[in-house]
Amino acid sequence: MTTVTPSPLLEARGLTKRYGDTLALDTLNLSVGAGEVYCLLGANGAGKSTTINCFLDFVRPDAGSAMIGGTVAAQDPIGTKRRLAYIPETVMLYSNLSALENLEYFATLATGGRPVRAELAQHLRTAGLTDTQLDQRVGGFSKGMRQKVGIAIALAKGADVLLLDEPTSGLDPKASNEFHRLLGLMRDRGAAVLMATHDLFRAKESGTRIGIMKAGRKVAELRADEIGHADLEQLYLTHMHD
Amino acid sequence: MLRTIASKEYRELLRDGRFRWAGGIVAGLLLVAGLAGFIAWREQAAQRDAAQATMQATWFNQPPKNPHSAAHYGLWAFKPQMPLAFVDRGVDPYAGTASWLEAHRMNEFRFRPAMDATAAQRFGEWTAAGVLQQLIPLLIILLGFSAFAGERERGTLRQLASLGVPTATLLRGKALGVTAALAVLCVPAAVIGAALVTMSSGASGLLRLGALSTVYLAYFGVILTVVLVVSAYFGVILTVVLVVSAQARSARAALVTLLALWAANGLLVPRVAADVAQAAFPTPTAREFQAQVQRALATGIDGHSPRGARADALRDSVLRTNGVSSVDSLPFNYDGFAMQRGEEHANEVYAHYFAQLWDRFGQQDRAQLVGTVVAPVIAVRFLSMGIAGTDFGQHRAFAEQAEAYRQEFNRVMNHEIRDQARADESFSYQADSTLWRSIPAFTYEAPSLGHALATHTVSLTALGAWLVLAALLVRRERRIEVA
Repeated sequence: MTTVTPSPLLEARGLTKRYGDTLALDTLNLSVGAGEVYCLLGANGAGKSTTINCFLDFVRPDAGSAMIGGTVAAQDPIGTKRRLAYIPETVMLYSNLSALENLEYFATLATGGRPVRAELAQHLRTAGLTDTQLDQRVGGFSKGMRQKVGIAIALAKGADVLLLDEPTSGLDPKASNEFHRLLGLMRDRGAAVLMATHDLFRAKESGTRIGIMKAGRKVAELRADEIGHADLEQLYLTHMHD
Repeated sequence: MLRTIASKEYRELLRDGRFRWAGGIVAGLLLVAGLAGFIAWREQAAQRDAAQATMQATWFNQPPKNPHSAAHYGLWAFKPQMPLAFVDRGVDPYAGTASWLEAHRMNEFRFRPAMDATAAQRFGEWTAAGVLQQLIPLLIILLGFSAFAGERERGTLRQLASLGVPTATLLRGKALGVTAALAVLCVPAAVIGAALVTMSSGASGLLRLGALSTVYLAYFGVILTVVLVVSAYFGVILTVVLVVSAQARSARAALVTLLALWAANGLLVPRVAADVAQAAFPTPTAREFQAQVQRALATGIDGHSPRGARADALRDSVLRTNGVSSVDSLPFNYDGFAMQRGEEHANEVYAHYFAQLWDRFGQQDRAQLVGTVVAPVIAVRFLSMGIAGTDFGQHRAFAEQAEAYRQEFNRVMNHEIRDQARADESFSYQADSTLWRSIPAFTYEAPSLGHALATHTVSLTALGAWLVLAALLVRRERRIEVA
């Protein structure tokens, strides 16, 4: 009996990017299927963010391709972005607008339609904001609250691809735990998630697969359920010290 | 999508203190400049109407006197206050709006407000046109410089760019948002301005000239043209602001670049263009000009027809034609005839030298327009003055009509002596009010809007070219750096 592997929603093929003399990405290959959370670990400058930026077409690779749903991002940036949601280290919002107004704005632009306000409010609640926070201007929001609005944007967009660039960096443990609960929710809905992180614990807990990057290269890839916390840490440190 | 972006920009701007303060100040200045201009305009219109009426009554009520004395007594031609002159006074303060029409000479215009200006006024007089051409662009810069650069710094551009919104759509949406915020200031100003124009058109008595609907239609055309020209200008400025904001590395860099462009557009290039035009096409000083004219009056335009010889030749020719040996034997008064011939010679001289001078001013205007390649405000200034009826072309049209009137009224006076006075009473013959009343009051036929615009095709073309360039810039802006 043969197993049919569904085509990955996210795929990097020979992705290479150079900034001057620095090789930021060196023929990177990876793929993330539906319902998978792929965690990219690595030190600063390892190429994690550059990888995500290539999928977002914020950065054009020198060689290789970043594909979303089989489409090369650089060739159809508008079309590929319609399928994804992006949550950076700190979700930046319009401080003069309320959480609901921000979500309404981003969701309208993301979907091209006119989202129902009640549904948007529900997405914000699902993401963990209280009713009083919905109409508050986000200028006074903490980082954790902003990340929740980011999740709500992803929910409202109905994205099947999530690109997360160190989304829990700087969050307190409770907020981080809450964020990963929501990430699990997205994964269970069938989203393909690529997350760059420094958090080995969360990578092991939330990830399906883990890739370790160093100097633009993927030096290791493993299934999260096949390795313990201590072994992961040991493996990571070994690669970092090589 | 466009509407969503525009609506959010608009909402943010309205909530932004910068807009409230800067917009409030500019709107206040626009209102004050417009109202002050209108009040001054109304006073001047009333003074002009009163002076016109007094002058006309004085002319009609002259006691019996010699027509040549009456010609020296003279008349005044007052340029009517154009309805939009309160918005843009154009060259009027410098060129003058009143001319004394007398025998033998074409006078320069008098009572130029610039002659009475204080030192402070030499820095520029604030008019509604000045606010529209200088301060609103500054406001557009303040509203738009951070449209992209600020979002990039705050990180929201990254979030926005991840959504798959085409760059051109983003740019157009932001432009619409800023436009809507500007409209909050400009639409009430335009409505007040239109009301004032309508009031001013009534005050000048033009309403009496034709059917109300025709006049209002004509003014609707004028107002619409102003709105279109100003909108096109603001559109160009806004596009440049947004494109610079999209390209700049930081909001501060965008602001500094745009302020430099604003200073170049509004202050530096127009000044340099005027100086270069003056240097390229110099005009004589008033003293030099008068000396040239006096020389030509004495010796002819060619410099070889001295006054005495001309007079002798004329007398000999008239005597020969009429077959008499003395001017006293002519069937008409020779002095009246000779004075008219003298007038016609002087008319030729004045026409020649004033045409030269005015052509030179025209060349200077055209030379200044070269500056519109880098400063669209120059084209807008010329168009604004043209629409307001205060440009140099319309000053020249008024001067030429006033001169034609002067020549005709002198011809009537001279012919009265030629035909009515005996040979020995050339300067003692007296005419009465029948003659004075035969001179119709001077009326100025202002060029139509179409004609006024036709004289500014270069400015219209330049503004159109800037609009095309703006559209191309928007189309070209396909990819915006998010970090």
